[in-house]
Amino acid sequence: MIGTLKMYGVFTRKSFQRAAAYRFDAWTRILGNVITLFLWGFIWYALYRGKGSVGNVSFHSMLSYILISQALQGIHGAGTPLWEIQERVRTGDIAIELLKPYDYPLRMLFTDFGSIFFYFLTAVLPLYTAIFLIISPIMPTTFSQGVLFILSATLGYFIRYCIELTFGLFTFWLVETGGVEDIFYFSISLFSGSVVPLWFFPNWLEHVALYLPFQGIYFVPNSIFVGQLSGQALLIALFTQVVWLAVCYALLRYVWARASMKIVIQGG
Amino acid sequence: MLQSWLRGMRMYFYMIGVSIRTQLQYRYAFVMNILGWAMTYAGTAITMWVLLYSFGAIEGWSFWELLFLFALSVLSWGVCVVFFFHFRTLDQFIVQGTFDRFLVRPIHPFFHFMAMKFDVGAFGQFLFSIVAMVIAYKKLNLHWNVWLWLVFLGAVIGGTLIQGGLLIAISAMAFWTTRSERVYWVVMWPAKSLMNYPLSIYPRAVQVLVTFVMPFAFVNYLPALLLLGKTSGIYPPYWGFFSILVGVIFFWLCFQLWMLGLNRYNSAGS
Repeated sequence: MIGTLKMYGVFTRKSFQRAAAYRFDAWTRILGNVITLFLWGFIWYALYRGKGSVGNVSFHSMLSYILISQALQGIHGAGTPLWEIQERVRTGDIAIELLKPYDYPLRMLFTDFGSIFFYFLTAVLPLYTAIFLIISPIMPTTFSQGVLFILSATLGYFIRYCIELTFGLFTFWLVETGGVEDIFYFSISLFSGSVVPLWFFPNWLEHVALYLPFQGIYFVPNSIFVGQLSGQALLIALFTQVVWLAVCYALLRYVWARASMKIVIQGG
Repeated sequence: MLQSWLRGMRMYFYMIGVSIRTQLQYRYAFVMNILGWAMTYAGTAITMWVLLYSFGAIEGWSFWELLFLFALSVLSWGVCVVFFFHFRTLDQFIVQGTFDRFLVRPIHPFFHFMAMKFDVGAFGQFLFSIVAMVIAYKKLNLHWNVWLWLVFLGAVIGGTLIQGGLLIAISAMAFWTTRSERVYWVVMWPAKSLMNYPLSIYPRAVQVLVTFVMPFAFVNYLPALLLLGKTSGIYPPYWGFFSILVGVIFFWLCFQLWMLGLNRYNSAGS
């Protein structure tokens, strides 16, 4: 057990070192992240101009929502992107992974931890600490709220990881993945509440979004962070996240089991 | 001079003919590529609709006006994608040393690189932008006269040159830093999405930047002010006429930058 953990730990360490070697990539990524933050900050500022609060949400909480959302997206974005997983399946590189004595989905997770850790320490943490000090947004006021936020954000991370890898593994059946990835990116940008929180959705669309797993990725942690979600509603939201994580994980396992039986290598 | 130009044009058409045929080899990928792009833009439009559902308008722009603004930039971006989108991948050619082959052929390297691909995937952009614009035109009860149609045409050509120029400038970076594709996806893509919304929502410094340095303002915002009959406190209304002029100058500058980089190019060795 400890030996296994040590082995996966090596992947984390290696990927951390790799990320450190390609610092340029991390810093261009943070530039893109800040541009997006800037864009949405001013969109919301313009939308709120002349309005005090809309649907019980003030501009200040909306700004905080966007800030924490962008910080979380920065962390998520440092993992292996969908196109890279697809590329590995398409080129057949994934076959090599099957020969090795480890579990591929778990190995990928630990590899992502390494690059995320590096990116978090050198880019997201310093930058967002500075932004938070300047803007002083709404933050969790109690210790338990902070803990629940971290718990929810972690659950959100694993949900996104399972969904993204599952979508990536669909490449085994499709080879050409245009269309599939667009569904993924659209869902992850709209239904996750990454830029527009679900409470501003039209009623019917909010219901659709609430029945999908994507809301657990950003919407739930963000809402906990800015204090829009509390009490019993918060516990229900957390429970929903756990259920979705279990479902997504089971799906990932199923798809991976089927995929590894069905390796088609182009040109091999 | 004229003869070499004609020869160049003939070669260009021959090469893009080959490029189109290669892309049509994979029917499913071809169709999905087009639908995928159309869906991506439709997704952004849906996000805009959701935003304005609770708020009504952004800086006095209704949803249909916003959709028009967005679709105008997607249309010229589509034309730009057809000719210049593959410039972002220049770094791969430099890193792998395959760029050398562009230098040893009897055709201008820039032209040769440009002729390498004629991206038919851009029909996704056309599909989305034309459908969106027709709906917006109907919903907003627009009736353009000849002049406004000329402004529209100018915006499409100028927008193509401006965005194409930026792609070329980013690809020129590869000559110095051996990076271009990532810079495109993580910097230019988010920066480009700034112009999906009316520029008046941004602080003055950004407005100056996207008007005079990276002239995104001339791609859609300034022409759209004229085309939709809107006024803005800051910009004189006739500025929208100048899209083509700005496009030509900016493209020329970016081309010079690319040539500067080309002269500096050293092969990857061994």
